[in-house]
Order: sequence, then structure tokens, then C-alpha cells
Amino acid sequence: MLISMRWLGRHVDLTGIDPEQLALDLTLSTAEVEGVERFAPYLSDVVVGHVTERIKHPDADKLGICQVDVGTGEPLQIVCGAPNVAAGQRVAVATVGTVLPGDFKIKKSKIRGVPSVGMICSERELGLSDEHDGIWVLPGEPTVGAPVAEAIGIDDWVLEIDNKSLTHRPDLWGHRGIAREVAAILQRPLLPLETSMPELGSEDPVSVRVESPACSRYIGLSIDGVGQGKTPDWMRALLLATDQRPIDLLVDLSNFVMGDLGQPNHTFDRDQLSSEGIVVREARDGETLVTLDEVQRNLQPSDLLICSGGEGVALAGIMGGENSKVKEGTARLLLEVACFEPVPVRRTSSRLGLRTDSSARFEKHLDPTLPLQAAGHFARLLRELQPDVSFPAQLVDVGDWSDPACEIPLNPDQVRRSLGADISDEVMTTLLTSIDFGVQSQDGGLMVRVPSNRATKDIGIEMDLVEEIGRLYRYGNIPEQHLVGALVPPPVDHRRELTESCRDLLAGGARFHETMSYSFQSDSLHQMLGLDGDPYVSVINPVAEGSARIRRTVLPSLLTLLEPNRRQREEVRLFEIGKGYRPEEANDRGEPKEVHELGLVLCQSKSDNPSFEQGALARLMAVVKDLLGALQFPDLQFVPCEEPSVPWVHPVRRVELVVGASGKQAGTTIGFVAELDPGLAGPLGIDGELASDTAAACVSLDLLLEQEPSGTSFVPLPRYPGFKIDVAIVAPDEVPARDLAHAIEKAGKGNARDLVVFDLFRGEQLGADRRSLAYHLVLQNDKKTLTDKDAQSFLRRLERGLGELGAELRS
Amino acid sequence: MDNQANLETAQARIAEAPDPAALAALERELLGKDGLLGQQLSAIPSLPPAERGPAGRAANELKTALTAGLQARATELAQADLARDRAGVGFDATLPPPQVERGSLHPITHVTRKLVEVFTSMGYHILDGPEVELDWYNFEALNISADHPARDSQDTFYCDEKGSLVLRTHTSPVQVRAMERLTPPFRLVCPGKVFRQESTDATHEHTFHQMEGLVVGKDISVGHLVGTMKTLLRGIFGRDIDVRLRPGHFPFVEPGFELDARCVFCSDGCRVCKGTRWIELLPCGLVHPKVLQAAGIDPDEWSGFAFGLGLSRLVMLSHGIDDVRHLLGGDLRFLEQFSC
Repeated sequence: MLISMRWLGRHVDLTGIDPEQLALDLTLSTAEVEGVERFAPYLSDVVVGHVTERIKHPDADKLGICQVDVGTGEPLQIVCGAPNVAAGQRVAVATVGTVLPGDFKIKKSKIRGVPSVGMICSERELGLSDEHDGIWVLPGEPTVGAPVAEAIGIDDWVLEIDNKSLTHRPDLWGHRGIAREVAAILQRPLLPLETSMPELGSEDPVSVRVESPACSRYIGLSIDGVGQGKTPDWMRALLLATDQRPIDLLVDLSNFVMGDLGQPNHTFDRDQLSSEGIVVREARDGETLVTLDEVQRNLQPSDLLICSGGEGVALAGIMGGENSKVKEGTARLLLEVACFEPVPVRRTSSRLGLRTDSSARFEKHLDPTLPLQAAGHFARLLRELQPDVSFPAQLVDVGDWSDPACEIPLNPDQVRRSLGADISDEVMTTLLTSIDFGVQSQDGGLMVRVPSNRATKDIGIEMDLVEEIGRLYRYGNIPEQHLVGALVPPPVDHRRELTESCRDLLAGGARFHETMSYSFQSDSLHQMLGLDGDPYVSVINPVAEGSARIRRTVLPSLLTLLEPNRRQREEVRLFEIGKGYRPEEANDRGEPKEVHELGLVLCQSKSDNPSFEQGALARLMAVVKDLLGALQFPDLQFVPCEEPSVPWVHPVRRVELVVGASGKQAGTTIGFVAELDPGLAGPLGIDGELASDTAAACVSLDLLLEQEPSGTSFVPLPRYPGFKIDVAIVAPDEVPARDLAHAIEKAGKGNARDLVVFDLFRGEQLGADRRSLAYHLVLQNDKKTLTDKDAQSFLRRLERGLGELGAELRS
Repeated sequence: MDNQANLETAQARIAEAPDPAALAALERELLGKDGLLGQQLSAIPSLPPAERGPAGRAANELKTALTAGLQARATELAQADLARDRAGVGFDATLPPPQVERGSLHPITHVTRKLVEVFTSMGYHILDGPEVELDWYNFEALNISADHPARDSQDTFYCDEKGSLVLRTHTSPVQVRAMERLTPPFRLVCPGKVFRQESTDATHEHTFHQMEGLVVGKDISVGHLVGTMKTLLRGIFGRDIDVRLRPGHFPFVEPGFELDARCVFCSDGCRVCKGTRWIELLPCGLVHPKVLQAAGIDPDEWSGFAFGLGLSRLVMLSHGIDDVRHLLGGDLRFLEQFSC
């Protein structure tokens, strides 16, 4: 909202007040001022000129040659085409060098052969109105040569207040409300404002019937004898300063009263109203109204309609109807000043997408005592501007409302405790009184009377008064304090420990990059991955079509990152720790089940003949093995999985992660590591020149948290030396590595340790469907030093064991 | 044969041995069975007894001389070797070392950890809450009724037509969940993801991160709030930073404030603070009695303060990130810039 300092000055003396300082004061005590700007700065650049002579241009009928005194001695000769310019006028002159709105710079020129230095301006040229039939003749006798704005008293500063900081303050939607705050801050008096109703005639008033509780008060004032008249410059300037375009006297006056007191109001052409008067009712289904912006509005019963003769004439609290609009020549008016309930106004205006200055105010819950003041204010201002108007009938004032002013007991100790500041009862009283609250001592405490303009919404409990005192006392005056309390460490949070460890291990040793993704996953991604049939939590108002679903699982989000990142990098290593939601497992409160997951992807450019340990799957398995080992799950097993838990993985190249398996105990599957289904490379965009070897892993942190980590128990250091030997085994492909490892362990009789595969080899010399696996291992015993003889017998036993599997030692 | 001449020839060869391997070969040749010394020794038994003594002595002298010569040459070669190593021929200090790749943690993780460290040091619990949230926790229990205008400005993603399930618009619902579960006094913060239904551009994002803070205790005051916030800023920026409170309206606090921090990037106005020297940092306030009540805490006995810190904003401010969409974009060129 824009606040004009000159306008504020009608309510509180602002002599000597710096606009920036005022803005800061309001920001710290009342509401955030977002900007301070000089009003129409070009009005300070043009000067008052006195037209001393006008003669006709010798070569152009419509042009005049004017001599204009701008207080610099020699008068300026200005050629001017306006029909209304005449000697004796005071006018606004843009001298050579002045820049007018639209970056229009005034230069010396010759018009039809006659030199002209400067320009006499119209209102439109100064951005004051659309008036351009003639030049702007300044009112009164302003000082010649002075800047126009100052000389005619419309220079101004405009403060822009953040509307969001006013949502709870219906009283601040007009200049008087802001002035009340300013007066309290500056400790100057709020100037009185006479708003009593002028003398009224005795005709029967227009009948008004309110049929809906959504209108709590309706005041109707009949006005006669409204003539043609121009809005005075001072009012137009104030409206302009607050970004309201002046239109005509009645519209301007209506806007001025709203901008002054914050109370919307509306004028009807009384001759267009039915003799039955006004009915305020809910709209009927299918009813329509053409509003003043010439748009036909389709209405519903939840909309409140001002009606006359059975049809709507205004959308209550939002906008008038085209049919009852006050036109030029309308002399008989009905002024409506009403109180409409916030919620229906807000619903209708949001539904119709029609937010107006009026609806914005009604939404805030306006003071129901305000309409009478506003009606009086309107009537008095109109009478001032047009002394011939009359008010032929008594006021209609109907509706079911009560004064919201209330009393709240205030315990001054509570104020001091809550603010943490030693503020005396007297200071509290002074601060509250300065914003028109009444304060009396009662029962050892204070009884505070909240005026109606603050009691509709904002102030209802003692803590609300604490805020009033605090902000006027200034929060900056409250000394900072440290919290004092028992030193109790917060409980251990295992999930947090787990996730933070995962982060450190993955970003550290594993050199993965952590990412955080949107919780939304697109329908097209789900279709691509075969996840379309799963149940999802979906939003009903997504930001884009096809992206309403909230993810069930983290990994698909990471798969979308492969292509763009592979364009930049040969290798992509990403992980994310995040949440997924499962609506089919919602609890009885309707909350979907929340799962916590770790997702990893490793995607590298495809190489022709990678060694086994360079493949993405093997590398990612190693990362997961290392991670879980570090998290104290050294018993992690990779188990071949028959049924994949997700449809998008490779049908064969995949393993499940099982922890806690021992002996007969099956263990728990906590996730998987798998290659991507090769058919997805194209859809995911990682084919062609981006052809990739891609593996993904998922670890359920929820399931992992349910497992018992091994802990670290000390194993005594070996007392007898071991010796390293390497063995290479040639075996048919169908013999799994696990069986070969068992054979080695068996042959070692407990002495074969630290078994590591270091090579996997296929070749013609081995025969088809056979491979060679090479192992490092250490032969070591806890009770004696093993000898070469022991090694020989180990190899013999191994040879026999392998023979049973159809495998053999490679020489 | 002239012993002396032989010795001189041998010493000359020793002196010319080019490397330790040649020297070792020479040693075998000279001191071996068939070498110079071996020949002399093997000749002794066939000498007349009277000559055997002097011949033996001569052989010993020869051995001593040869051994000394070999030793001296070995030392010489070792010294030359060291000298060559020390010369470091071919070293180029400006040649860049091979690239060691590393991983990285998301900047949101970094800032969260920093804050969590500060808050746990002051006895705060770190809590987590659901991103898909009940309307009750996101709005109702926070004193934001169905028709409250705040619901408009919060641009909520609704998960059903009834509006009973939403994507949380702030981390504040965790306040209520915590208050239901914990017995005062307590202090807690909850970092997490939040959502607003708005289209994205460089400064707007529909998904971002916040950290809620809540303290409930006896006689908690605005002074405590200010003190805590200053401690927080000291923790983040490593020095004292001025703050100011100004009125701000949020339905779940009373009184409510906007907390501004003195701009850490300038001393006379800059782009970040828009020339004001203050940066709007976080909304905060004393917990509204109705919110305490809704969570089953007696507002006559307990009071508290709450604050909501924009983690995404803090990350952007502290790293000078110009586009909020980088945060959740998953671009390695962005992620790699942060440490692990």
C-alpha cells in the first residue's frame, strides 16, 4: 500500500520529519516500509510561469506566441498550441534542459520560423491526468519561478508499505490509521477529524433490506444536487501519489474516503434503482452480473449481491455493477457504506479472480463502526467541494452488528516476563494510550479497553497487548538474554547418526556426490520405468501437468540426472538420502507411510573390455560393501535375487543386500544393487555417444535401523607369521564363485584367511564357458608357524576339492 | 709378475667401474678364486716354505688394498648417486599434480550440520517430520484456520480434495508434533524440506529447505529469543552480528517478528541487502498460547519462542549462489564445488 506523507500530514503534524526516518520508525514499530520515493519528481523540475502576453503566430492559426515570466528577469518566448492559454495565467513551464516523463527532453527550437525556448505543459504531459485539451492552468497565484510542486503544495514523499505486513491490521488500510501509529511513534497528537453527519432532510430514505448475515451493516445516504465539478488539485495529487488515477469528482471522492479512513464505499445512480430500494442477498445459481469492468460474472449462492428491483446492481464489497453506474449528469445518488463479512468477500473475489482495493480491505475484517464515520466524512467533503448538494432523506442504517470494542485484563508482570524488559506500569499505560487504548488500574493489574478499530481481529488476548507494548517500546530496547535450564543432553537419534555416517562415508572414501532432488516424480518417468501402476500420493494442484506424484522411492529421481551429467562428465557418482511416501500403507489418521532411503547411482562411459573390478556393478557393490562394513554390518551378503523388487533393473545382473544372516537365520533384505535394464539406456538418454555402464543401489535406512550392528570386538594380533600365496582356479561358468570360496576355506581347515579375488580371466586356452579366478590369500595358524609342507598339503586338498566341482588349479 | 703393477692395474679398473653392478662384478673377479688374489693364494702352497710367509703377507696386503679400493669406489658411486638424486634433474614445480577426485556433500547438508552443531551445543533436540503433512499440523494447530488469508499467501500443494493432507508449507508443523510428544521444558530444531505451489525461476522455487526452532520453558521472553539468535549468527559467521526485531505477523506466534541481521557482505549497502545494510533473515516470535494449547501444553504455566530459518536462502547468501534452482538440480558441476 502506498502512503503519502502529505496525506498523513492532514492527520498528524509532520513538520521536520525526514521521510527515511519515518519509514524506519514505521518498520520498527508498525509495518515494513519497502520503499520511500519522491512523488512525481518532475513536478519539482517544472516551474511556475506567468503568461504576460499571447499573440497569434503569424504563420499558424492555432499557435500562439507567449511571453512567459519564469522569474529569471527576461521573459521566455514559448510557442504554444493550446487553445486555453491566455495572458495573466500561471502555468507550468518546462524550461530548456528539463526532462519530462517518457524521457522527453526540452530543447531550444523554432516552430514555423518562430524561436521557442521551453514548453507550457498540459496535465497529461506531467503525468497528472489524461487531460490534454489544453495546458494546465495553475490554481491561485503561486510564486513565479518556484518549482510547481512546492508552489502549489503538492510536493510529496510516498512510502510503500508491504501489504503482507498489514494482513492482521484492518485499521492500517487508510491514511488515518497509519497516522495514528505515526502520532504514537512521534509522540505528537492525532489531529481531530470531524465526521459527523451534516444536516439531513426529512424525505423517506431508500429502503434497504439485508437478507444475509454476510452483510453486518449497511448505511445508505441519499444525495441530491450533485453538479459537474472538477476534483481539486490537492486531492488529485494525493490520489496520484498513492497510485489512484483521478477520474471524476465522485469516483475521486469515493477513493479518497477509502484511502483516508480505509472504508470502501460505493455510489449508485438513485434514478436507476427500483422504487423498492436495495436488497442485500445471496446470489442465485446461474445469476449473472456485469461488473464495472464490463465483464459478465457468473454467480453462485455463496456470492453476496446488492440488488434492486430483483436484479443485481453490485457485487457486495468487491465491485459495482455496470447497470447502476453513476454517469455524467447524474445528480441524484445513493451512497453505500457497508460492512461485509471477510470470508465470503475473500471467497468470491478469489473465485472470480477479482481482487479490488475494496475486497482487500473487507477481507481484513473492518471495524463495523467505521461506515458511519466514512459516510459523514464523504458527505462533509462533498458539501465542501459542492456547496449546493443536499441530503434529502434520513440515513438508512441497518444490519445486525455490535461494537467489537472489548476489555482485556493485563498483568504488567506478564508483560515484563514475556518481553524480558523492565517496563514500568506507567510506561505501559502511556504506550497503550498513545494508540487510543483505554487503560485503568484494576485489582492490582490493568484493565485495557481495546477500541473497535483494533478489536475486530487483531487484539483479543493478553499476549496481543504484550505485542502492542513491545513494538511501541521498541524491541531493540529489550536486552538480550541467554537461556537458562537443566543441562540434559538430547536423546540419541539413531537415524540421524546413521544418515550422517552414510553421508560422510559416501562423500569421503567412496567419493560420491550428494544431491537432493524434488519429491515430485513425473508420470512419464514412471511409465518409462514401469512404475506407473504403483499407488502414489499426488497433489491436486501441481505446478505442471504430469508432475503431481510424490515419490515412493528415491532412485528414479537419480536416474533422471544421468543423462545431463553424463554430457558433462565421463563418470557420474551420485547419492541421495531422502524420503518416499506409500499411500497404501496409510495409518488411521490418513498419513501415508514414510520411508527413508539411500539411493546411489554409478554411471560410467562404456568401455569395450573392462576387467571385472572396473564394471559399474562391481564397483557399486564394493562401495555398498565398504559402506555397510563401516556401519558395522560386516556380514553383508550379496544374494542372487529371483524376483526383482523394482521392474527397471537388469533381469540377471542384480543382487539383493542381506544382513543378519547366520546359520539357519535367513537375514533381512535391506536393498539391492543392480545394473540398469539395458533397454532403458535409450529412453534415459544414455546411449549413442553417451553409452554408459550404469549401476544403481537402494538401501532402506528404516530396515537397516532395525538391524543390530556388530560392534567392534578386539581380535588378538596373530603371534605366528602367515604367508601369502596366490591360487588361480579354472572352473566352468556354472560353478559360482561362492562354491570356489568354500572349497578354498575347506582346504585351508581354518587357516586360509583374507581371501581376495584379484583377477577374472576368460580365454580360448581355458576352453569355452570356463573362467579363471585368481585369489590372494594368507595361510596362518594361531598356534604354530606354518611351513612349506603345510602349504603343499593345502594345495593338494584344494586340488581334490576343486575336482569335485569340476574345477582345477591353474598351473 | 710384478705385484705392484698388478695392483695398480686393478686399482685403475676399480676407479673406472661405472656403477655398483660393474663394481660388484669386478670385486668377484679380483677377490674370487680365479682372480688376482685367488691366483696368488693358490700359488702359495707350491712355494718353498721360506717364501710362503712373505707371499702370504703380500697376498694379504693385496687383499687389504683391493678391498679398500673397492670400498672407496663404492662410497664414491653412492655419493654420486645421491648427488644425482639431489640434483632433481627434470623437476618442474609448475607441472600440475595428477587429479585426485573427491566426493561432496550438498550445501544444504553443510549448513544444516553447522546449525545443528550450534544448537546441540545448547542442548537442543534435532527432530524430523513428514513432508506429506496433515492439514491439522500444517495449519489448524498453528492457529491458521480454514479461512485464514495466510492460507492464500502460502500457496499450498493439496494432496486431496478435502484438503486434509498437504505438502507442508513450512517446518512449523514439527513444532506441534514435538509439543505433543515432549514434556516441557525442551529446546528443539527441525531441518527439512518444504513446499509452496509457485512457478520456479531464479529466485522462486516450489521446494526448498527450512529449519524450525522451538523453545518451551518457564518465562521464556523476547530477550531470550534475541540472545539465542545472536548466538546462532555467531555460530554461523564466526563473529558477533547485530540483529534487529521488527513487527511481523504469523498466526502461530504472538508477538511475531521479522528478524533482520546486519549485512555480512558490506558496510555501506550492497546488492544482497539492497542497500539497506540489513538482511531479512527469519520470522520468529513467542509461541501463541493457542498453539501451546492445541498441543496440550498449558500456556499459563509454559511459554516459548519459535523461529523459522530459511536454509536454502542461507546457503544462497553464504555462497553467493545466483539461482535457487541449482540447489535441487543435481548438476555435478554445481555439487562438486562443495567439500565433503
